[in-house]
Amino acid sequence: MTLLSDLRQTLGNENVLEEPLELYIYSKDASLMRGEATFVVFPQSAEHVAAVVQIAGRHGMPIVARGAGTGLTAGASPTEGGIVLATTALNSIEIDSDNRTAWVGAGVINLDLSKTAAPFGLHFAPDPSSQSACTIGGNVANNSGGAHTLSEGSTTSHVLGLEVVFADGEIVVLGGQAPDAPGLDVKGLVVGSEGTLGIVTRALVRLLPIEPDVRTLLLDFPTVEAAVTTVSEIIAAGMIPAALELMDQRMTIAVENWLHAGLPVDAAAVLLAEVVGEREGVDSQASQIGEIGRANGAGDVQIAKTEEHRALLWKGRKSAFGAMAQLAPDYYLHDAVVPRTKLVEIMRTIYEIADRYELTLLNVFHAGDGNLHPLIAFDASEPGVADRVHKAGEEIVAACLKVGGALSGEHGIGLEKRDLMRMAFTEIDLDAQARLKEVFDPTGLFNPRKVLPDGSRCFDFGGVRREVPEGAWI
Amino acid sequence: MTYHPPHITRLAAESEGAPDAELTVAPKSPRDVASVLHHATEKGLKVQVWGGGTRSGYGSPPPPDIVMSMERLGEIESWVPGDLTLVVGAGARIADIESKLVGENQTAVLPEVPGRSTVGGAISAGASALRRGRLYGTRERILETTIVTGDGRIVRSGGRVVKNVTGYDLPKLSAGAFGSLGVVVSVCLKLWPLPPAGATVTVDGPDQASSVARPLAILEENDSTRVFLWGTDEDVSAMSGRLGGDSADGLDWPADPSGPYLWSVRVPPALTSQAIGQLPNGWRYLAIHGVGDIRAASDDGEGVSDLRAWAESVGGHLVVVKAPTDSLDGFDPWGSPPAGLDLQRRLIAEFDPARIINPGRLPGGI
Repeated sequence: MTLLSDLRQTLGNENVLEEPLELYIYSKDASLMRGEATFVVFPQSAEHVAAVVQIAGRHGMPIVARGAGTGLTAGASPTEGGIVLATTALNSIEIDSDNRTAWVGAGVINLDLSKTAAPFGLHFAPDPSSQSACTIGGNVANNSGGAHTLSEGSTTSHVLGLEVVFADGEIVVLGGQAPDAPGLDVKGLVVGSEGTLGIVTRALVRLLPIEPDVRTLLLDFPTVEAAVTTVSEIIAAGMIPAALELMDQRMTIAVENWLHAGLPVDAAAVLLAEVVGEREGVDSQASQIGEIGRANGAGDVQIAKTEEHRALLWKGRKSAFGAMAQLAPDYYLHDAVVPRTKLVEIMRTIYEIADRYELTLLNVFHAGDGNLHPLIAFDASEPGVADRVHKAGEEIVAACLKVGGALSGEHGIGLEKRDLMRMAFTEIDLDAQARLKEVFDPTGLFNPRKVLPDGSRCFDFGGVRREVPEGAWI
Repeated sequence: MTYHPPHITRLAAESEGAPDAELTVAPKSPRDVASVLHHATEKGLKVQVWGGGTRSGYGSPPPPDIVMSMERLGEIESWVPGDLTLVVGAGARIADIESKLVGENQTAVLPEVPGRSTVGGAISAGASALRRGRLYGTRERILETTIVTGDGRIVRSGGRVVKNVTGYDLPKLSAGAFGSLGVVVSVCLKLWPLPPAGATVTVDGPDQASSVARPLAILEENDSTRVFLWGTDEDVSAMSGRLGGDSADGLDWPADPSGPYLWSVRVPPALTSQAIGQLPNGWRYLAIHGVGDIRAASDDGEGVSDLRAWAESVGGHLVVVKAPTDSLDGFDPWGSPPAGLDLQRRLIAEFDPARIINPGRLPGGI
């Protein structure tokens, strides 16, 4: 039997795509890199996923899991060919309000989960900017963060259990509602593994109570330094606001031109801060943040007076990437992290790098946790520009690592940053990670050549590895 | 007697309270740890890693050939309060670390009444703070680890920033792993600021706490239920006013109950009260409501089989934390084996091929 007939027989004709245009659409995520899907499948259940994994194994064909394709590192691009497994139909949500948990299908959209949980007074804490499109499966794969990560942690802190299909086609349920499942925390290892260890079909997630009250503030500053100092002093005062988001002037102007949200375009930096909790607490925290801001030179301190006002301020922040379209057709984005005390220094370095490569660079980032999002706006049709963009990007990452930072705070490594891993880790460190991958996926079935650079397995003394036979499946 | 080469015997040391073994060593560097483990792997010697000795009763380990005390690996390597990060040797005592951190109004959110326990010990045993319902468990604090594998490789993973998805999350895998992937020699922890005010409010029962959305902790012991609050002065006084119980300033954390037998009952959060009702008569307990973490002590092992059967029937666990030697014959310390046990075995084999680090501590006798 051919691969196609195996897939059709198992999933039904309607759940297997093979037309060139359909394959083209599923051959790329939101990064700049395109792969080539051999087929696209839409499993309707975990059993379907298990069957696809077995079929793929038999035919020596890699599998790339895909949620909404909002990923920014080519993690969901089938750059080695293979079956793209779209999780769209895995869309069940079962809420257990007593235990404040939910079993959620991998294909459920992040925001839909919080909307479904809202009548119970609950929500899902991780909130990537793409939350109206991105899926829980994608969040698990990338250990996604969002604006509220500083106070509540990334996706991994909210995943209590996983249903996973491993390379042998077995469906395994890891973890559960009870805390501290005995043994190694294998589920924790699968979170953030970018589809390279297995295919997650459902996740048991923690839901948090919706906070009784919230205050959202917008402060404008004459310098980036003043904004960053304010962030440090807020935390030093014993507060961990739910969000501390910073936009530089170039970004503020771009967003304001697009959204007309009343953003202060004259300011060098704009800080969006949000505090949540009991009413008495949020009022005192909001006024304290205002005072700290003013002491550092903040010109204006807006406190959202209505829910609409609050939504508008957040829309300004979450639309930053959308606003880029008016500047140039393409953008390139890194999400390196630096220790927060190095923010001022690294911002200067980043502007300097962009100027040197004659590139337009804007900054919008999670200031509370030092997670940068320098955006380079460019037009890929301009000769030579892509090369400059990549070189500048690499220099930015190297500068972040030099001050003690990390390659990625929330977007993942995928294919895009794979080769930069050598800047962050030694050969022995990478070898250890490659061994993990091999234990789960000895034949390289799941999302091959992602996360780790080629040759990571440096102490490989002739272990037998099956090569994926090219063309063998047709 | 096994022959130990001079570069190993020079690390010999006395370690207070440590179990008897042919050789006790106290390495001073990750490289020393690597030498000892490499030697042990070559000779097939079992190594027991020794921190403060407060959580040494888990599993059913065979007697060790070498005890490796971590007491000389407890230095603070870096602490940047503004970055909310602390890099510290695994042998550091939690009490020492927390008392330093409080000077900058920070905490590592490690167990509140740690006794002699160490950072590495709490991580390896997966022990969490009583504040875990609000601030999450110890696992979530681990940003970076340096481990030494059984075959002597020094492996660093994660990073020294509060948010990071660079590579597989080996750091969090250390929590509860009992060193089976490698001896944790140093970690970077995510710190948390201490807000200005705290209060401990005695209430009639856990239901009374529902007027507060996210208290720091709701703890029930045999004779009391207390709600722990923190935040700004306004926050704390408003919340304690609403709770209506007897309120005392400050956070008065209880110690885990003590006795010859110690147990950990782990159930879905909503079943915490029910789990307390299932405990055999005479057991002392400290339960974290909203988490499902019940720490219990007893004078004998009577009734544990029924308790385990109930806990497992609701998706939970009953784990033996400590019991007198040979007193629980045939009663597995962990209970029914977890899913994916074979995968766990294969993972450990890549890091500790001769299975010399704390063998027998994990479920399934691994």
